[in-house]
Amino acid sequence: MARMKFLCDADRCIECNACVTACKNEHEVPWGINRRRVITLNDGKPGERSVSMACMHCTDAPCAAVCPVNCFYTTADAVVLHSKDLCIGCGYCFYACPFGAPQYPRVGNFGSRGKMDKCTYCSGGPEADLSVAEYEKYGSNRLAEGKLPLCAEMCSTKSLLAGDGEMIAQIYKERVIKRGYGSGAWGWKTAYRETIAI
Amino acid sequence: MRQDDDTRKDDTRLGRRQFFRALGGGTAAAAAAVASVPLTPTEAQAYDPGNAETRSRYRETDHVKAFYRTNGYETLKK
Repeated sequence: MARMKFLCDADRCIECNACVTACKNEHEVPWGINRRRVITLNDGKPGERSVSMACMHCTDAPCAAVCPVNCFYTTADAVVLHSKDLCIGCGYCFYACPFGAPQYPRVGNFGSRGKMDKCTYCSGGPEADLSVAEYEKYGSNRLAEGKLPLCAEMCSTKSLLAGDGEMIAQIYKERVIKRGYGSGAWGWKTAYRETIAI
Repeated sequence: MRQDDDTRKDDTRLGRRQFFRALGGGTAAAAAAVASVPLTPTEAQAYDPGNAETRSRYRETDHVKAFYRTNGYETLKK
């Protein structure tokens, strides 16, 4: 059984934020919520790195471990989804997640934040596939349409990879063998001189 | 001296004091009966999404194969 994973090739990410925009547009994500975002390290300095981050669909998800109403479940594709009908907006999952993936529509105290929202790996929720109710709560279900998450398909530099974990790991390994990694990558010394190494 | 309704021997109706005495006794018995019923808490149930919701939706369609091919280097393009 294929396990769905995201992999961001940080050597290729140019912080264009197209993945963020594509996600928000595809799922009509409300204001104040970003299911995906681009993090930049050492911003403005030689050797800066950008990584596109969203829910990483953990194998043993900490959000599911702390949820008091057990609204999380993992699909056969290893995608971590949740039921907005059960969610009480307590915020525990936000504190448990190491990636800051869970988001809430409102700022408030316990129970007043509204239903939690996060990346669904473009695979909807508990409602019937491709139904209106599913789209309104969770956005589009591209996996059921035979497609992959739009953030990865939109990536202009092909930095963000999505799909079967084994397949995208193989793609990434090939890239590293061909071009190197970090300061060993092709073009690095031309851009940053030999003194900067990662 | 005026005789109370309750003490009148010829009155067969339930008097005010007897009425409340009977009512109080009955209420106490009912409360005791309720208290003696053992509480049976229902066991907490975890959310079971079911097979339909957790089934695999990923399919290696031509669309997905094209994504792998265009993201890979030469070996995947063959």
